[in-house]
Amino acid sequence: MAVAWIGDRDVPVAQAAKHAAGLLVSSLSPVFSFDTDVHGTRAAIALAERVGAAYDHIGGEALARETALFTDRGGMFIAPGETRRRADVVVIAGSLPAHHHEFVGKLASTIPDLGGGASRQFFLIGAETRAAYLSKVKPTRLAVTGSDVGGTLAAVRAQCAGRAVAEPVSNFERFAKALAEAKFPVFLFCGQSLDLPGLEMLQGLIADINRKSRASALHLPASESGWGSTLASTWMTGFPMRTGFGRGMPELDSWRFDVARMLAAGEADLHLWVSAKTSVSVAKGVSTIALTKGKKPVAGAAVTISIGEPGVDRDAVAWSSRIGTLAAVKAQAATDLPDAASVLRLIAEHLPDGKALPC
Amino acid sequence: MLTRIKGGEIVDPVNGRLGKGDLWIEDEAIVEAPAGRRADRTIDATGCVVMAGAIDIHSHIGGGNVNTARLLLPEHHAAHAQRPAETPLSNAGWSTFQTGCLYAKMGFTTVVEPAMSPGSALHTHLELADIPIIDKATLAILGNDDFLLSMIRDKASSQMIEDYVAWTVGSSRALGVKVINAGAAAAFKENVRTFSLDDVVPSYGVSSRKIVKTLQAAVTTLGIPHPLHVHCNNLGAPGAADTAAATIAAAEGVPLHLAHLQFYGYGTEGKRRFSSEGARLAELVNSTPEVTIDIGQVMFGQTVTISSDVMRQFTSRGTASPKKTVIFDGDGNGGGIVPYRYRDDFYGSVQWAIGLELFLLINDPWRVFFTTDHPNGAPFTAYPDLFALLMSRDARNAAAANLSQKALALSTLGSIDREYTFEEIAIMTRAAPAKLLGLKDRGHLGAGALADVAVYRKGKDIAQMFREAAFVIKNGDVVVEDGAIKNYRWGRALRLNPPPDKAMVRRLEAYYQERYGLSLDWFDFPDSAIRRDEPFGEVSCNA
Repeated sequence: MAVAWIGDRDVPVAQAAKHAAGLLVSSLSPVFSFDTDVHGTRAAIALAERVGAAYDHIGGEALARETALFTDRGGMFIAPGETRRRADVVVIAGSLPAHHHEFVGKLASTIPDLGGGASRQFFLIGAETRAAYLSKVKPTRLAVTGSDVGGTLAAVRAQCAGRAVAEPVSNFERFAKALAEAKFPVFLFCGQSLDLPGLEMLQGLIADINRKSRASALHLPASESGWGSTLASTWMTGFPMRTGFGRGMPELDSWRFDVARMLAAGEADLHLWVSAKTSVSVAKGVSTIALTKGKKPVAGAAVTISIGEPGVDRDAVAWSSRIGTLAAVKAQAATDLPDAASVLRLIAEHLPDGKALPC
Repeated sequence: MLTRIKGGEIVDPVNGRLGKGDLWIEDEAIVEAPAGRRADRTIDATGCVVMAGAIDIHSHIGGGNVNTARLLLPEHHAAHAQRPAETPLSNAGWSTFQTGCLYAKMGFTTVVEPAMSPGSALHTHLELADIPIIDKATLAILGNDDFLLSMIRDKASSQMIEDYVAWTVGSSRALGVKVINAGAAAAFKENVRTFSLDDVVPSYGVSSRKIVKTLQAAVTTLGIPHPLHVHCNNLGAPGAADTAAATIAAAEGVPLHLAHLQFYGYGTEGKRRFSSEGARLAELVNSTPEVTIDIGQVMFGQTVTISSDVMRQFTSRGTASPKKTVIFDGDGNGGGIVPYRYRDDFYGSVQWAIGLELFLLINDPWRVFFTTDHPNGAPFTAYPDLFALLMSRDARNAAAANLSQKALALSTLGSIDREYTFEEIAIMTRAAPAKLLGLKDRGHLGAGALADVAVYRKGKDIAQMFREAAFVIKNGDVVVEDGAIKNYRWGRALRLNPPPDKAMVRRLEAYYQERYGLSLDWFDFPDSAIRRDEPFGEVSCNA
C-alpha cells in the first residue's frame, strides 16, 4: 500500500522525505501546524528550529486564549482528581467541548469524599442548560439578560463582592448561599467559549473567594493534544505554541505566528501540516507537505506522507484531562504506519547538514 | 579510547589525591595509570584544577511546576537571549536544552530535581530526558497525599507504609523521597492558612511532625540511600528558625536532610522584626551529626520562586514581581509559582548574609550542600559568583559593602574569616553529594569511577574559573572545551527500583478505582514512553 506521494505520484517514504527536505530548505518563510502527541510535537519543533519555521496548533485560537491566561495573568487551578474528590459546588463557566462531557457526567454521579462536603451542586454561567451532557447534572443557570458569558461572569463577581449591577444575575441568591456553605467550589472552564477578559474575570472571582475561603478552577483544554503540545513547546523553547524560529532563536508572538493568519495573509510560502485526524486544505501558492492519515495523496500537496494516529495506530504520550497531566497511551490497534516523529526525523536527515534531530 | 588528563592539580578528597598529577580515563571509566600504554588523546591540564564532575542535589530543573513557571513568564526566557550580560533577566537559563548546556559549562554532570509529583512523573521524566549532557534524578513528593495521610490516621502498619513508599519511588522512577511542608497542602485545601510542625491536618488528625517521622522511618527502613529530604514548615516566615530548630531536633539520631535552610534562618530581632538566626542554626547543625542541609543561597536579581509548598506560595502572592502567579491545588502537594526580584535592600541583605553564614559556620563540608534552590534563591547560573564569595573573604567584603549595613549588623557574617579551599569545594559539590545520594560511581576520581570530570583553569577571577570550565568530561566524552559545548549527548535519570509489593498494588488499584474512577495504569508508564535509549540508570538501595 502506498504511504507516500510527491504530488500524486506514489514514491518510497525516504524519497518523499528527501523531497520535503528540499522544499523546506528552499522556503523563505515556512510554517508548521500540527495536531499530534508530545513526541510528534517535539520532533516538529526540533525541525522548525532547523529550518527557521513558525509553528502553531491546528485550530489554535481557543488554545491561544488559554495560553494567554497563563502568560499574561496566571491564576488558581486544581487537579481533576481533587475536583472529583473535593468539589461540593461545581460551576461550569460557558460551554465545554464534547470530549469533557463524560468527566462532567462522572462528577454528577459522584459526591465529594474529602473536605467535608456531603453533596455536589452544579451551576452554569451563561450557557445553554439543555445540552444533553448536562441532563444528569441539572445545573442552576446564572445569567444576565442581554449579556454573554463574560458579561455574566462580571456581574456574578460584582454581586459576590456586594457591588451594584445594572442587571441582576438570575438565581444569584441560590448561588451565593451555595458559595457561603461550600467547602471547595470548583469552576470548570475552557478557552473555547471564554475570551481572555472572560478568563481573567473568572480568575478574579476565584481570587476574591480565596480571600476568606477556598475555591479554584479546573482547566479543561479546548484541545487535549494542543495542551500537550503547549507543554512540550514550553519546556523545549521556553515558549508555548505560536513560536517562530525565523530569526534563529525562538520568539513567541501569538499574533505574528498565528499560522492560519500567516497563510491567509500570504506571509508563508511553505506549510508543513501534521495531523492524522484531519486533512489540510492547500492554500494557493503555498507548497504544502502533508503528514496525514490517508490512502490517497492530499489534493494540491507537494508531498503527502501517511502517518499513524497517536494512541490508535501507535503508542503515544498525550495530555489527559482525566488526570491533568501527560499520560502514556497504548495503541488501540497498532499498525505499521509510521508515527509523525519518525517521519519528521527522516525529513531532517535529508537537510543539508544531515544531523539527526535531538528528539 | 584511552585519555590522559596531564599535569593538572588533582583534587580528589575521597581518594586522598591532592596535588599535581595525571588522570587516566578509558572509555567511560577512570582507570589507574596504565603501564606501557600511550594515550589516544591527551588533555593538557597544566595550570588547571581537576575535580570530579559536580553534583547538584537540589535544583528545580523540570516537571509540572517548573514548566508552568516557564509558561507564566515568557519574558523571563526572552530576556535570556544573547545580549549584554548586565541586562535584567539575562541570567536565567530556562529551556530544558539550555539547562543541560549551562550546567555542563560549569562542570556539573549530575543534577537532582527535588520535587516530582508522583502523579506527574511521566511529564517530569520527559522534560528531564530533553536536558542534554548531564545525568538527572528526582525526589518523589509524599506527605500531603490522601493515601498516606489516611494510612497514618488509620494506624496502618509500618510495613504497609513502607510498601507504599517503595511503590511510589519505584513507579515514579525516583531516587529518593521529599516531604514538603508536611500536611500543609492538605490543610490548605480546608482553608488553613498557617501550619507548623505540631499542627494537625483537618480530617486526618495527623500532625506534620507525625508525617515527617513516619516517612523518615520508612525511607530509612527501605534502605533508600538519600535520607528523607525535608522542606520544613513556615518557610520564609520571620521566626521560622524555631521551626527549623524543632525539625532538626526531631531527627532523633536518624538521618534527615533539611532543604534550603537559609529560608528558615529568620529571626525577629530589630526594628523590622527580621534578623539573622544563621549562626544559631549553623551551631544546631554542627551539633546534630545525623542532619545534613543544603543552603538555598539568595543572590540578587530577578528570579521566580517555584515550590510545591502551595500554602506558602499562596501567602506570598502579594510579593510577586511581575504581578502574576499560579497557585495549583494538586492531588498531593500541587504548587505555586511566584516571580520575585531579590533586591539589595534590608530584607534581601539579611537573606544573603544568612546563607553565607550557614555555608561558613557549618564546619563539616560533608554535611552542607551547595544550592541556591534554583531558581528560588537565584538561578543556578549564579553559582560561579557564589563560589567566589565562599572562597574569598575579600570578594565577600566587596559585595557586602554595597548592601544594607543595618541588615548586616544583624548577622555575624562580617566577623567570619573562613575561605573555602578547593578540597572543601570538592567535598561539598562532589564527594558529599555522591555519598548523600548513594551514587557510588561518581563524586570522586578513583579507578572504576564514572569518567565525569571537570577541569578548571586557575586564575584570580574565581567566578570566571567556575563559569566556563576548561574541559568537562561526561562518561568519558569531552562535552565542554574552553567553556563551549563540544559534544551533545544524552544523560540518564538515576533511579531506585525497589520491587513493588503485590498486595499494595492491589490495594492502590482498588483505591484509584473507587476514589478517582480510574485504573492505576493511568499513573504508570513504560520506559519506552520517554523515547530515549536507556533513559534510566538504576541505583541500588542500601542492604
